[in-house]
Amino acid sequence: MTDHIVHVLPELEGPPTAPTVTSPRPVGKPRTRFARLVPNTVIIVCGLFFMLPLLTLARFSLQNVPTILLGSSTLFKKWSLSGLTKAFSAPGFGEALTLSLQLAAGTVVLTLGLLLPTAIWVHMRLPRARSLIEFLTVLPYMIPAIALVAGIFVIKPHARWFLNSDFSLVPFYVVLALPFTYRSLDAGLRAIDLRTLVDASRSLGAGWLTTLRTVIVPNLRTSIISASFLTAAVVIGEFTIADTLLKETLPRFQATYVGREPQAGYGLNLLALLLTVGLFVALSVLTKKRDRKGASFALRMKKSMKSGLETTP
Amino acid sequence: MPLSGAQWSPTPDRVGVTDIITAGGGRTVGAPPSVRRLNWAWLGLVPFFAFLSLFLVVPAVSVFSGALKDNDGQFSFDSMRAAFTGQNLDAFWFSVRFSAGSALVGVVIGTLLAYAAATATRPRWLRNLVTSFSGVAANMGGLPLAFAFLTLLGKQGVLTKVLKEAGWDLYGGTFGLGEVPGLIVVYSYFQIPLMVLITLPAIDGLKQSWREACANLGGTTWTYWRRVGLPVLAPSLLGGFLLLFANSFSAYATARILTQKSSIVPLRIAFYLGGDVNAGEDAVGFALAAWMIIIMVVCMSIYWVARRRAERWRS
Amino acid sequence: MTTLDFISVRKTFGSNVALEGLDLDVREGELITLLGPSGCGKTTALRIAAGFEFADSGAVLVAGGDITRTPAHKRNMGMVFQSYSLFPNLTVAKNVEFGLRTRGVPSNQRLHRVAEMLDLVQLTSFADRYPHQISGGQAQRVALARALAVQPRVLLLDEPLSALDAKVRTTLRDEIRRIQTEVGITTLFVTHDQEEALAISDRICVMSQGRVEQLGSPTEVYRNPSTAFVARFVGSMNEFDAQVTGPSEVTVAGQRIGAPGVASAPVGSPVTILVRPEDLSLTNDGLPGTVTSVTFQGATTLVGVRLDVLDHLVSADVGKGAADHLELGSRVAVGINGSNAVCEPVTVGGPIAVDEPVA
Repeated sequence: MTDHIVHVLPELEGPPTAPTVTSPRPVGKPRTRFARLVPNTVIIVCGLFFMLPLLTLARFSLQNVPTILLGSSTLFKKWSLSGLTKAFSAPGFGEALTLSLQLAAGTVVLTLGLLLPTAIWVHMRLPRARSLIEFLTVLPYMIPAIALVAGIFVIKPHARWFLNSDFSLVPFYVVLALPFTYRSLDAGLRAIDLRTLVDASRSLGAGWLTTLRTVIVPNLRTSIISASFLTAAVVIGEFTIADTLLKETLPRFQATYVGREPQAGYGLNLLALLLTVGLFVALSVLTKKRDRKGASFALRMKKSMKSGLETTP
Repeated sequence: MPLSGAQWSPTPDRVGVTDIITAGGGRTVGAPPSVRRLNWAWLGLVPFFAFLSLFLVVPAVSVFSGALKDNDGQFSFDSMRAAFTGQNLDAFWFSVRFSAGSALVGVVIGTLLAYAAATATRPRWLRNLVTSFSGVAANMGGLPLAFAFLTLLGKQGVLTKVLKEAGWDLYGGTFGLGEVPGLIVVYSYFQIPLMVLITLPAIDGLKQSWREACANLGGTTWTYWRRVGLPVLAPSLLGGFLLLFANSFSAYATARILTQKSSIVPLRIAFYLGGDVNAGEDAVGFALAAWMIIIMVVCMSIYWVARRRAERWRS
Repeated sequence: MTTLDFISVRKTFGSNVALEGLDLDVREGELITLLGPSGCGKTTALRIAAGFEFADSGAVLVAGGDITRTPAHKRNMGMVFQSYSLFPNLTVAKNVEFGLRTRGVPSNQRLHRVAEMLDLVQLTSFADRYPHQISGGQAQRVALARALAVQPRVLLLDEPLSALDAKVRTTLRDEIRRIQTEVGITTLFVTHDQEEALAISDRICVMSQGRVEQLGSPTEVYRNPSTAFVARFVGSMNEFDAQVTGPSEVTVAGQRIGAPGVASAPVGSPVTILVRPEDLSLTNDGLPGTVTSVTFQGATTLVGVRLDVLDHLVSADVGKGAADHLELGSRVAVGINGSNAVCEPVTVGGPIAVDEPVA
């Protein structure tokens, strides 16, 4: 599962909750500084644990000094960015990068094209199917990537024409990303109270397509962005299926290039890591701003409609 | 008063069944609307079902069909049994050991970290920092992580060197990043954040009033955790353990980089699929995958149930 | 003697003064309500009594003993929280039993006591249910049973009814009072709902901004509010700008009204007088105005009137018959009975309407 993204979406788990929830604190004693000693130590130690590998990876990529020779005298020597950029000119890199980006784009398009109508359909017409769909979207968790690939191998003889193309990865990537892309869209739909908006829109005369375009999709912007970015991160980092099916994607290149050029290879991996992190940062930045706007708009609309029904003239 | 004056009328582009559905019932056309309604609406899910069937269900089922064959292509359990012998059995045992270990580490440290972050009042941004970081780190398994740890704790790693100079030869014994302890350390990098993400909501759900009520009734901190706090958290902790176990068991990429041996189940599956095996033996590879699916299904099912339980108490 | 005393208790949170030297004596068996708007310090006072906060200075005594620094779990007080403080993983019976177990009470005694308590709150058949299976009102009753099971010296209730539906609130409020009287336990009750306070308290302590505005019986607080804040907070009030024109007399919009409450104010000074709706009547020679609303309340009718002269909305609570023929827009005249009016001197700088007596 680490090969595809496991992303729990706390902020999209339902209607936006106040971020300032704090958990129970010890009671009954005057607060002492000692009480925070253990928790703070845990945080600091964990912080170190999470920072160190990244730092050493960066060091290895950027500093041309082998570890054996590393010492106080050599610590600040031979730093350069060449380790990172060397990979760009390596044969095969351009193709691998292009392929990965194309796969990412294709997966995002197919995901949204398949799931968005489905999610809306379930919310509007078929609420009974909710639990079934929820169960189905969890299925990919039960079928890990490597097992999925094994299954593909069984079918291979019968579908060689399809599996030969590099783009045959796309539908499988959609499946891999399914658990959280669907939940992201679903949570977004739940937060905007779809039924009320659609009823309001239709009662004001808008047809289905107009409603979809002007009412539903704009309010789902957060979920759509979230689903897209996560999907992109999955695809760009996916290794298992690409490796076993021998498709030359970026992660495959990352793995094999290290054998040819160690430092540049590590540097490339560092860049890939930064790219993934960048995607997440961009995602949270985009989601935070819009989340409040979109959700509060929907809430305000709901409130005004409800209060309109409740106030005595 | 909104909408009271507006007359609802069907839009001219769609008449018939769709209007009955969106009008929210009340009008019947011929056959009872419930039967008609369901039949038609389920059609809308066909693309989704078809897609899933083709690209998820078919491969999954094929795994089993491939696994339940022997060398001659006849139905047999031989391969399923063979998956538990020799090197394959070692692989299972290895996988179970390190997955359980990494899950345990993840649960313990992850819960502590989640608790620390959840109860942090100063500085205020600490909790958000931990959450955001966990969101990213939980997904950093894979190639870059493996390489990063190689630079830290690998044979040429910085920390290895530092420890050696301090007197502790890390590689003097059986340690290796591809061995159980090593894998546990590396996998903790994403297991701990994953646990933090799942557990934070559960810890938030521990109401302050329970803590106070317990104190009020004469209980100490220890009493609280023993009789209220941990029991309420227990389903989440169990669920977390299972999720982490499953996560660890099925991981491929990181291990691929860290070890050349096919010591874990996913790597052995890849080995069989690689084609360097005798004809007919690839069924064993499928059997391994089949067993893996079974284990995952069991884990995730228990996880699902545990989460339901936990949510019930949180309301 | 299980009395509860606050002696000059002071508490600040950062730069915010929550309590400014609170002095309060709760007598044995008495139910005192701390009443006030949010931020007045009532909850802080309660939590200091419970031991969840610690006073910066001052003392808290129970039965004469100083418990100011005693940790919460040693204070032997019962507390009912605002909402959902039942332990979700334990059944109703086990919740009630909790305090007994921490005290090491033997099993058969525990069972007996739990049965007794559940009987007291009339929830015996719910013993094996879990908190998520019972309603909010039932949960609060269980919370009460749980708090009383350990026979605490003092009972503390932190807005126990605020999270409940209106109907449940009234029934439960009376239940709580009944049980409290039956058991005879010294009780401190916190609420922002003045109706609740008036209904169940032996005495009410009205608070605002960390200070006690008035301490007295419900009747005293309602009929003789000692400050304008109390007058406004407890029950509703009509306000009139007036001028003192005699030793116990004010003039409102040209009308002279006898008002003993202004006895101490200098003649000629502007004041605001606060008059209860039931002290307004629809007479023939009062202040003219137009009816803006008529709300039938059963025994009385609340009539909203916009007075011509003052362009002012007032509410008159009138009895049977007086409002029968009224409709929106009817012309009426409002008479003011100033005998219970509260007088508030106008602070310098405020706009005043000074009215000349009508010739």
